[in-house]
Amino acid sequence: MNVLKVPGRTIAVFILPALLLYVCIVFIPIIVSFYTGTLEWDGIGDSKFVGLDNFKRMFFDDPVFWPSVKRTLLYAVASMIEIPICLFMAILLNRYVRKANKFVSIYFTPVILSVVILGQLWKTIYNPESMGGMLNGVLVWFGLDSWTHNWLTEPKFAMYSIYIVSLWQYFGYHLLIQFTGVQNIPSEIYEAAQIDGAEGFKADRYITLPMIVPIFKISIVLAFIGSLQAFDLVMVMTAGGPAHATDVISTHMYNSSFLSMQYGYGSAIASFLVVLCLIFTVLINFGLNKLERKYS
Amino acid sequence: MVNLKKGLAYLLIGALCVTQLYPLLWLLTYSLKTNEEILDGSFFALPKTPIWTNYSEAYKSGHYLQYLGNSVFVTTITMVCVIILSAMVAFAITRFRFKYGNVVMLIFLLGMMIPMQATLLPLMIIFKNVNILDTHLSLILPYIAFSTPISVFILSGFMRAIPKEIEESAVIDGASIYRIFRTIIIPISIPPVMTVCILTFITIWNEYILAATFISTEKLKTLPFGVYSFVSQYSVNYGNIGAFLVMGAAPVILIYFFLSDKITKGMVAGAVKG
Amino acid sequence: MAKKMKTVGMVLAASALTLSLAACGSNNDSGNNASPSGSAPAASEGGAAGGENVSITFQNIYPDPTTPTAKALKQLVQEYQDAHPNVKIELDTLNTDNQKQKLKTQAASKQIPDITMVNPAAQMKPFVDAGLFAPLNDVLDKNGLKDTYQAGLLDNYSFDGNVYALPDGNNIEVVFYNKELFEQAGISKIPTTFDEMLEDVKALKAKGITPIAIGEKDSWTGSFLFMNILLRTNGGPGFLSDVVSGKKTFEDPAFITAVDKFQDLVQAGAFPDGATSIDATAGSNLFKTGKAAMFILGTWETGAIDSSSVGSKVGAFQFPTVDGKGDLNEYMLAPGTAFAISANSKHIDVAKDFLNFYTLNLPKVQFELKNAVGQPQKVEGDLKAAGYSDLSIDVMNMFQGVKGGDLAFDNTMVPAVAQVHLNSLQNLFVQKVESSQVAKEHQAAYEANK
Repeated sequence: MNVLKVPGRTIAVFILPALLLYVCIVFIPIIVSFYTGTLEWDGIGDSKFVGLDNFKRMFFDDPVFWPSVKRTLLYAVASMIEIPICLFMAILLNRYVRKANKFVSIYFTPVILSVVILGQLWKTIYNPESMGGMLNGVLVWFGLDSWTHNWLTEPKFAMYSIYIVSLWQYFGYHLLIQFTGVQNIPSEIYEAAQIDGAEGFKADRYITLPMIVPIFKISIVLAFIGSLQAFDLVMVMTAGGPAHATDVISTHMYNSSFLSMQYGYGSAIASFLVVLCLIFTVLINFGLNKLERKYS
Repeated sequence: MVNLKKGLAYLLIGALCVTQLYPLLWLLTYSLKTNEEILDGSFFALPKTPIWTNYSEAYKSGHYLQYLGNSVFVTTITMVCVIILSAMVAFAITRFRFKYGNVVMLIFLLGMMIPMQATLLPLMIIFKNVNILDTHLSLILPYIAFSTPISVFILSGFMRAIPKEIEESAVIDGASIYRIFRTIIIPISIPPVMTVCILTFITIWNEYILAATFISTEKLKTLPFGVYSFVSQYSVNYGNIGAFLVMGAAPVILIYFFLSDKITKGMVAGAVKG
Repeated sequence: MAKKMKTVGMVLAASALTLSLAACGSNNDSGNNASPSGSAPAASEGGAAGGENVSITFQNIYPDPTTPTAKALKQLVQEYQDAHPNVKIELDTLNTDNQKQKLKTQAASKQIPDITMVNPAAQMKPFVDAGLFAPLNDVLDKNGLKDTYQAGLLDNYSFDGNVYALPDGNNIEVVFYNKELFEQAGISKIPTTFDEMLEDVKALKAKGITPIAIGEKDSWTGSFLFMNILLRTNGGPGFLSDVVSGKKTFEDPAFITAVDKFQDLVQAGAFPDGATSIDATAGSNLFKTGKAAMFILGTWETGAIDSSSVGSKVGAFQFPTVDGKGDLNEYMLAPGTAFAISANSKHIDVAKDFLNFYTLNLPKVQFELKNAVGQPQKVEGDLKAAGYSDLSIDVMNMFQGVKGGDLAFDNTMVPAVAQVHLNSLQNLFVQKVESSQVAKEHQAAYEANK
């Protein structure tokens, strides 16, 4: 158990400043959101209490809502699939390259750059052939004309196109986290394993993976946060269009609140997002703690 | 066989370098193009003649130095506060013997995933009532508050793994809690602190929605304002945006590459040793 | 309202206290007259004359310093400050989208800037209803400002007999076309009927030329074009107001035909590939770089087209009639974004005095900056002599012939319905939809938000 026995006052000194700030700035607005979620309000003029009408509309009558939830969750799943790939790359880098951390820094650059510019770049890739889109150009060059598509405007493909940009952008981010994890596994352990005949990927299976679980947890949580909050990238690439085909929860919330000026309804969506966050925080922690215990 | 594997690995590593570095190169060419060249939407092309005036215009009308100064100020204060506050909380949660440690942890975990935009309007009303609208405080406070949960999460993961013998001996030597925190815990927590720095930095350096909403006075505005100052109702000055983004990213990239050894070594290092 | 806000206010005040920062906000118990920025002394200086230093915030949407409007703004603000050394005009310059969002957020906390900008009619109504704007009748009466505005224009900014905002522009929708590209496609005369236009589209398409430039990621562009068709199929203006007054529904044949015609354009390949991911600016660039033959948008584009590489080859014509219906001299009207003053401004007299000065001098400055097309006020001076292009002069002449017209969809309908409309039209760019279905969608949205 924890060792330090301290008076209540000391505990307060350590915890209260952060907790108070956090409660005022994050918690209270969220509670207010739950309240405004029960109003019919344009955000400016008079408001009317309508009980759970907004929530009812959200769950049963809004054709945009559930698809946007589905896209958000897919976003999260896609981001998580990336993490093992990053781990694989981290192991490769650690094993074969001497100045590996320079490469890790290079891979990190897209994370630093503004989404505004990344969006523009990827548009030049996804554009239709007539507008000089790179991807379609390459397909045509290989004689695969029938494979060309308007990647950002065909509802079938648009969302996946955005997932790919996001995966590409955050590749370096997760790689960096995994890499430091891999790098910090004491080399003595591998040496000991070598004597026992475990080398290369076999050693990874029995040493690297179990030791990296705590890092995995951080990565997964961050990936989740990233996808629930995905907003800027969607806005820059498609603004949720065509006709809601790429709306995610956060863009739907923003559009409802500020474009449709249904602030009450937007708040209802925000409340849902918060509840979703809570559920997944609990699930992820529960699942990963179990995994951690299994390995340690 | 080994060589083949090695070769494939190098190929993969090299290919990724190209894909991940290309945007930087692209941004550089972009920043030297005319609007027409940019809107042509070409993936490879170089500018016909480099438009260096994009830089001088971006520098001047984007209020570069002023905005940069404000961004550095806001970001630095935020990062320092986030680190101190969340280290204190993480320390208390993981090392103090008190009943509500888990409850506090849970409260912070709950807020970890909440997006800032969701709180825009309530925050506006709060800030109006405490009269801090249109000050840097109205940015720093939410930036700190929204970065704290994830920092507490990361730091507490690390601190839990610090062997308790360390403090036990310190306590026997008669060191106070505050001294243990300052001279023992903080120094060995440098690695995860680097992680926290980077995560905090990435989220706030390009943050625009809160900034645009809460800040009105010219001399308080931050870098993202500069980017959007070239977007008007019916036209966008893309070349200047590119130049401004290069100037905005340059200090960051320089610092980052300069510190990259430290950062990669430092990040989340301790979490594994547990 | 006051009561609701008070409850919220109390929760927030509680949080304010826990923040242990000086809580000196005013709750809105007496309605809308909360003082704008908390604790500052509520100095009520009389008029601009006082020697006391005064700072007013002017929130505007003219960020790009290279545009004439931004230059005019800088120049006039400077002139005013020089003449009134005690007054500081603090410019809060934002791009359009962010300004809209910011103003809405500020409005929710009753804290709007001294001078701000809003869109006309339906878009500014919620602000007026909430009592956020001051009536500007006295500003208009001063120095004969009122008479400088074009007849009828201020109606779009008036509610219950008071004018609440002064526009920065007034435009109409025309068809810009590239004469050279028309020639290449063998088109000898400009289309005056929709069928001719459709033929031209096909002819252009056959030559591999994009017929009509558009940037439908910003979905208002497609809507603005569509409304032009509706203006014709309805045989004149007023369709949307008839819907509002219950005389018509969206399932009226005029609307259905308009949707069909619009889809005819889409199906004929009139628009660039992947139009829904193209920003408005990138869309207009297709025309300005000679890649597209036509561009159907507001006359605010005139100056930019003039100075583009195709400038000398561009002409403009009126949107054609559809099935013999409509009048060429009726246009889609686009009264501009307008300056409004906060009803709670602490320095309301200074703000009003400045706005009077600003709007009074704007036409002259804009004329000098070669930006006379699309001004809300009567512009004096000989365009030809001042070096304006033929295109500008043509467009100005079309203004002279305006007989009437309609406002854009989002200026007529409440925002929630407008959003449904914009998305529904954007959808037509990516798939063919039964026009009756589109009509039903519109009607359902309208009824849900009545």
